[in-house]
Amino acid sequence: MMNNRYLRVFLKIFSAIISIGAFLLIWHIATNGTKLGELMPGPIELISSLIKSTYTNIGKYTIIGHILFSLSRVLIAFTVGGVIGILLGTAMGWYKTAEAIFRPFYEMIRPIPPIAWISLAILWFGLGEIMKYFVIFLAAFSIITYNAFAGAQAVDPVLIGAAKMLGAKDSRIFRSIVFPSAVPYIFAGLHTAISASWATVVAAEMVRASEGAGWLIIQGMEMNNMIQILIGIIAIGIVGLLLSIIMRGVEAKLCAWSKSGK
Amino acid sequence: MQTNIKVEVKNLTKSFGDLLVLDDISFNVTSGEFLCIVGPTGCGKTTFLNSLTKLYSITKGSILVNNEPVNLKKHNIAYIFQENSTFPWLTVEQNVSFGLDIKKVPKDKKKENIKEVLDIVGLYAFRKYYPVQLSASMVQRVSIARAFATKPELLLMDEPYGQLDIELRYKLEDELIRLWKKTNTTVLFITHNIEEAVYLGDRILVLSNKPTKVKESIDNHIPRPRSIVSPEFVKLRNRVTELIKWW
Ligand SMILES: Nc1ncnc2c1ncn2[C@@H]1O[C@H](COP(=O)(O)OP(=O)(O)O)[C@@H](O)[C@H]1O
Ligand SMILES: [Mg+2]
Repeated sequence: MMNNRYLRVFLKIFSAIISIGAFLLIWHIATNGTKLGELMPGPIELISSLIKSTYTNIGKYTIIGHILFSLSRVLIAFTVGGVIGILLGTAMGWYKTAEAIFRPFYEMIRPIPPIAWISLAILWFGLGEIMKYFVIFLAAFSIITYNAFAGAQAVDPVLIGAAKMLGAKDSRIFRSIVFPSAVPYIFAGLHTAISASWATVVAAEMVRASEGAGWLIIQGMEMNNMIQILIGIIAIGIVGLLLSIIMRGVEAKLCAWSKSGK
Repeated sequence: MQTNIKVEVKNLTKSFGDLLVLDDISFNVTSGEFLCIVGPTGCGKTTFLNSLTKLYSITKGSILVNNEPVNLKKHNIAYIFQENSTFPWLTVEQNVSFGLDIKKVPKDKKKENIKEVLDIVGLYAFRKYYPVQLSASMVQRVSIARAFATKPELLLMDEPYGQLDIELRYKLEDELIRLWKKTNTTVLFITHNIEEAVYLGDRILVLSNKPTKVKESIDNHIPRPRSIVSPEFVKLRNRVTELIKWW
């Protein structure tokens, strides 16, 4: 059994290497041997530029610096959006009054893609950081609020009854029953929201910034520098993947109780 | 005599809209009694317990505990639901602790209390486990331990062993009897399993089909521990079976 599993993992990795290798090879041949080379740099050139960009500046910073800029924007706005979204969502899911007051307002904002706010945000907050925080906040907030709300509504009424029978009052039920039972929903929301926030920061930086992953791409376009654009895209992809993996790890730890298996 | 009555159900009527479920039901439960209630599926057994505990409002009539209207803050009532009601995000130990935390039981007293009930249901070794890691019967024992930990004066159980296989049921039934004897709790035990009712109860209340009335109340004086194959057991079981033949 054990051997079988190792074999399967090995085969998976092996076939991944083969397919990526084949892709790189075709890419290399295509860009070297045909006119495609004028549209696209080859893989060797791109990878070496990518490595070089980690220690030489593009604009004011290395690629690491640009990514850290984008990440800090995301983390600040995502955290604020997350905290407010979790509180508002669970409150709307449990307290009818909170739902009556906030839900109509929230439902109005929810269907609007965060990127659509960028122009308005610029008029309100100017071209600085606040504008970026604001649109990323909206992206994270609307997703997380929705999930927290759905989670709080999906709480098992039997558990509410059990808590009541054990003497729990309304506020206690909210804290000790509604909130924890919404946690798996909230995590699903955080997971989607971090990806959405990452996409949004790139968009916001493409509109106006002097650093960040989005700026790399836009500046690459303005300078007609295809390698810089591709480096930006690759960096964005890698960071997006890492954020997703981290979220999944945290989720697996904190929501262990909701998964079966001994 | 009056002080000896734990629960007094007076002309209890409960309907959901046009659907009349409990129809003018009256009976008493004596302090320390183990009362089994049997009735066909859908006759309103769960509805009765939910009315007693105020999860549902009563249409007409009243339910008194210790001669006064039910007050969950004052009366220490525990309720074991038909469905699994353990909190999945809490460990076994934390589940049992839930009611004690609310009642602000001091720390060492609480620890002692938790150990005592978990020992009785045989789950002390599993105290750090989450419900999802346990089997169905173990989860049900967590609910039982959680209920007993608060030392209830009145314990309500709604077909708690319905989902379990026979062997485990026997085991948990004996465990329950032991706990009941030790604590002097009054128990209302709902089941549709006649053998279970005859095995456990001091008395069996047989309910009719909807709209539901009390069909008969049968005292059960068979000495404990009871044997399900003894002639008197079989005789009583047959009598109850006869009563509910028309379900
Ligand atoms: N919350 C409710 N709303 C409407 N009807 C209900 C509700 N709870 C129970 N009923 C109805 O009351 C009857 C009795 O249900 P229940 O008490 O669950 O029966 P039992 O526990 O004896 O099987 C059923 O016909 C059921 O459909
Ligand atoms: Mg029922």
